[in-house]
Amino acid sequence: MSVPLSAYLVFALLLFCIGLYGALTKRNTVIVLICIELMLNAVNVNLVAFSKYGVNPGITGQLFSLFTITVAAAEVAVGLAILIALYRNRKTIHIDEVDTMKR
Amino acid sequence: MMENAWLIPLFPFVSFVVLLVVGKQLKERSAYVGMLLTFISLIYALGVLYERWTAPTYKQAYTWLTIGNVQLTVGFEVNALNALMLVVVSLVSFLVHTYAKGYMHGDERFPVFYAYLGLFTFAMLGLVISPNLLQTYMFWELVGLGSFLLIGFYFYKEEAKAAAKKAFIMTRIGDVGLLIGMILLFLEVGSFEYEAIFAALQNGNISTTIITLSAILIFVGAVGKSGQFPLHTWLPDAMEGPTPVSALIHAATMVAAGVYLVATLFPLYEASETAMMTVAYVGGFTAIFAASIGLVQTDIKRVLAYSTVSQLGYMMLALGSAGYVAGIFHLMTHAFFKALLFLAAGSVIHAVHTQNIEQMGGLWKKMKWTAPLFLIGTLAISGFPLFSGFFSKDEILLAAWTHGHVGLFIVAVIAAFFTAFYMFRLFFLVFAGEARTNVHDVHESPMVMVLPMIVLGVLAVVSGYVQTPWGAFLGEWLTEGTNWHAHAEGPSWIMIVATIVSLCGIALAWLIYGKQAIARDWLSSRFPMTYNVLMNKYYVDEFYGLTVMRATAFISLLFEYIDRFLVEGIARSLAAATRGIGRIGSRLQNGQVQMYGTVTIVALAILVVIFAVTGGYL
Amino acid sequence: MQPYFLSLLIFSPLLGILVLSLISKEQEKAIKWLGVLATLPSLCLSLFAFWQYQNGYDISQLTEKRSWIRFGDFPFLRETDFTVAYELHVDGFALVMIVLTTILATLAALASVSIQKEWKGYFQLFLLLEIGMLGVFAASNLVLFFIFLELTLIPMFFLIGKWGYFEKEKAAYSYLIYNGLGSAVLLIVIAILFARTGTANIAELRHILTDPIAQMQTISPISDDLRYGLFIALLVAFGVKLPIVPLHRWMLRVHVQAPPSVVMLHAGVLLKIGAFGLVRIALGLFPGQFQQFSTWLIVLGVVNLLYGAFLAFRQTDFKMVLAYSSVSHMGIVLIGLGSLNEAGMQGAIFQAVSHGFIAAFLFFFVGVMYERTRTTTLARLGGMAKTMPYASGFILAGAMASLGLPGTSGFISEFMAFVGAFRAEPWLAAIGTLGIIMTAVYLLRAVLRITFGQTTVTNVHDLRGIEWVPAISLLLFIVIIGVYPNVLAMPLQTTIETMMNGLGG
Repeated sequence: MSVPLSAYLVFALLLFCIGLYGALTKRNTVIVLICIELMLNAVNVNLVAFSKYGVNPGITGQLFSLFTITVAAAEVAVGLAILIALYRNRKTIHIDEVDTMKR
Repeated sequence: MMENAWLIPLFPFVSFVVLLVVGKQLKERSAYVGMLLTFISLIYALGVLYERWTAPTYKQAYTWLTIGNVQLTVGFEVNALNALMLVVVSLVSFLVHTYAKGYMHGDERFPVFYAYLGLFTFAMLGLVISPNLLQTYMFWELVGLGSFLLIGFYFYKEEAKAAAKKAFIMTRIGDVGLLIGMILLFLEVGSFEYEAIFAALQNGNISTTIITLSAILIFVGAVGKSGQFPLHTWLPDAMEGPTPVSALIHAATMVAAGVYLVATLFPLYEASETAMMTVAYVGGFTAIFAASIGLVQTDIKRVLAYSTVSQLGYMMLALGSAGYVAGIFHLMTHAFFKALLFLAAGSVIHAVHTQNIEQMGGLWKKMKWTAPLFLIGTLAISGFPLFSGFFSKDEILLAAWTHGHVGLFIVAVIAAFFTAFYMFRLFFLVFAGEARTNVHDVHESPMVMVLPMIVLGVLAVVSGYVQTPWGAFLGEWLTEGTNWHAHAEGPSWIMIVATIVSLCGIALAWLIYGKQAIARDWLSSRFPMTYNVLMNKYYVDEFYGLTVMRATAFISLLFEYIDRFLVEGIARSLAAATRGIGRIGSRLQNGQVQMYGTVTIVALAILVVIFAVTGGYL
Repeated sequence: MQPYFLSLLIFSPLLGILVLSLISKEQEKAIKWLGVLATLPSLCLSLFAFWQYQNGYDISQLTEKRSWIRFGDFPFLRETDFTVAYELHVDGFALVMIVLTTILATLAALASVSIQKEWKGYFQLFLLLEIGMLGVFAASNLVLFFIFLELTLIPMFFLIGKWGYFEKEKAAYSYLIYNGLGSAVLLIVIAILFARTGTANIAELRHILTDPIAQMQTISPISDDLRYGLFIALLVAFGVKLPIVPLHRWMLRVHVQAPPSVVMLHAGVLLKIGAFGLVRIALGLFPGQFQQFSTWLIVLGVVNLLYGAFLAFRQTDFKMVLAYSSVSHMGIVLIGLGSLNEAGMQGAIFQAVSHGFIAAFLFFFVGVMYERTRTTTLARLGGMAKTMPYASGFILAGAMASLGLPGTSGFISEFMAFVGAFRAEPWLAAIGTLGIIMTAVYLLRAVLRITFGQTTVTNVHDLRGIEWVPAISLLLFIVIIGVYPNVLAMPLQTTIETMMNGLGG
């Protein structure tokens, strides 16, 4: 028994939507970052799924997901670093309170 | 000579250009330039007339404008009527050029005056040799320009300014009629050439509706130019111009252009009974209408102006009664005696420095030349036997009678009575009796002004003899090759009636103003209403002020509001709406990345839905 | 003639811009002379071309074509699809407009002596504007046309906004917004046509759009509904330029606020781009639609004519009178175009040229007057015939030309337009003739107020020096066209024939 492609896609879609919702609505920056991770992972799921069930099955999709994971890790590292710096200076990590660039 | 007849208008034009350029240096010597060049025109015109006496009509045309496959031409034509008009116009113009040298002496803008005279003469001469309607129309308008410039010559006077404006606009209203009529004819015939139009008329290629419509519309143009009712009001006001101008333009030449136009297009009018009736009735009505106003006016030039309007009405009446020869004949004699009257009036004004006849009087002794000459003119216009006006008026009455317009005939007779009366009223008030104001230094005008008057005086007497009940030289020549009457045959009592009527008018005027046997206010005190109406020229100006001008002002105001509030309002509200949308947009743009993301996603979703529904194509 | 002739003609003012940028800002005299001189090469070239054309030179030899932009490289398309070439081409009509432009540019440059500040920037923008105008008339594809059109927009914006009168900024923005919107609409039309047919060349587009066979072979056929849409869009786009009531408000502000020398070009040439576009693009590409809308065009024309005339009657500022008179006179262009026959078309084109000269002429004198009296308000002027007899004479002559006195170009155009209109729609034309009367009324009212009556402003001097050049030469052009109209009618014959063929007879 094999899981059909659509199942992967629906799963990825749900994951992506949850991530999107979180990223757009949450005010805690940490949660936003986590939600971005969720979206990236949804993409990864899609990439892997298509690398097996796509029109031209091959290793490229999986390779790409590795790239994504790497980039995501780097991004989280940078993001968290900024956050910590921010927290040290401002004692807050709420998104809408960080608006010096707008002033 | 006839093949170079186009040179005739060109000489005055040269005068115009030369004086415009070097007039400032020439100062009063400008008069010699103008006189010389119009004199050449006159000589040339006489030569052409002499040649045309025996030779056939000469015509020449050159391509002027190409529209698609239609070629419009300009050119010139010398036929009997044109040749006659050339002489009349250039003669009067030359005489006025001479006269004005004395009259305008000392005026600051002397050269300009002569330049304008040159322009006008050019246009008028060009008008009379035009072989087609389009060219006629062009010179027609240029003549109007000359008239406008000369009426407004004393530009610093508010009255002159208003009069010039009025003259231009009133005649323009007529001109638009002419333009429409002309275009309608053109669309039907495919040519502006008189020949082509007449040929089409003969072959029956033009529908009756168009004939009538275009004839009447063209007549509207003539009404405007010739000061016929209801577009007559500009002509009396035009007397604000210098008196030589009134003589040249508003008596002898330009105002006769309307009559000339109808005469030129006579076959067109003949083809439509309605158009003929219109011409005759408008002419007849104008004749008596203006004559009745002339009875009470007190400005010497205005009396003459209303008399001009009335006499032009006579000519129209003649043409409308199929009296082609009668109309032209009266045009010619009128040109001479009315120019004489105006020049003499100018001479009087020159002497006493007023135009109000109530302040004149007793000039007979002081102006040895002017007074008898004025008398000659007065006798001629009153139709006194054996003067030129007698013969021409007689022709008109005959034409009206033989054409069966009994009503119009009676109107013409009454108008003749009025004419005799008010002209002699004018004469007695100005020349007879004692001076009513103490103007001391009244002197006769210089010879340069008197000589032209003498020439005109002679013509005012003898020009009638070219067409008498005993021999119709003019008529036979003019109607050569046509089936029009060279001379209207009618009962001989008409001539007697005309004589009696004119003598009655003269006698009555003498009783009231000469002998003062009847009190002057005999009539005005009994009929104050009538007197007031006449004094105020039937309130026509006031009527126009209340209707046409009010309406124009109202429409303008309406449009102004539309423009300012509706059009601008819509534009403003659009701008406001844009600004509102912008404000909403800027509220969305709060710097929150999350908001941007939301908007992006929603927009994407909408796009996806649209694509899904339409399948990718709009 | 040279293969680069047209490019040379269009871009020769560029030389002036370059030289001007090397000169110090302070050298007023030198800058002014250079500004005038820089307009001369294109003037000479255009007059030369016109003269050659009158002598039977085949003007289509001047056509230039160089490959320029290529969009995409799709194997299923032909080599020529979705390419835009740099291509210039003139016919009689375009050549006439180019001559008009170069003449007015030189004369307006001469009239610019009254500019008070920053001559350098002024003349640079002025020359840039000239390039744009010349390009518009010579461009033979829509993209190039559009680029040149936009090129006129920007210098004009600064010329109004910087050198104008009191409300200059507002006028400049008005100008930019209205014309920008018009251009946007035009751009949409161009984009749709380009996307659907793969070409922007006007002649090719005309072929594709009017020939049923060619239309079947095009990339994506254009339905009739879309044609109507595009036609109306074009009408709006050029209606802003012309302007057609109710899109005229911007133009009043520009007329009043811009410096007179700029208005000479604006009223003289820029408004005519609207007429040019209507003829070349709207009529050229959509003759069928044009035919169906022809009655409405006449209606619009009559509305323009009367609306402008009645409003001009009420204005208290001479510049406003002239502005509304421009609205009114552009109505005659519409009437002529809408009548769809030779007489009407020729009348419309004549009116475009004639109004160019007359409007420039009158605005030149507005400048002359303002320089001396510091006002253009009618109530404060009067009796100028005494203090400035020659200038007054010229103003009167201008008014006479404007109201269509025979012997001036105004008459010929009005006359032909009305001949056309009476053939097409006699009743509408009859209503339109009311405009002829009203034109006389409002012009005489305004002009006599200024020149006749009591003198209000004394110790002013008459025309002098260089001012005579524009005055006399413009009047000369007006009179020459009026006295011998074939000088203009002959070059237009082929254009009008082509147009009539496009209309199917």
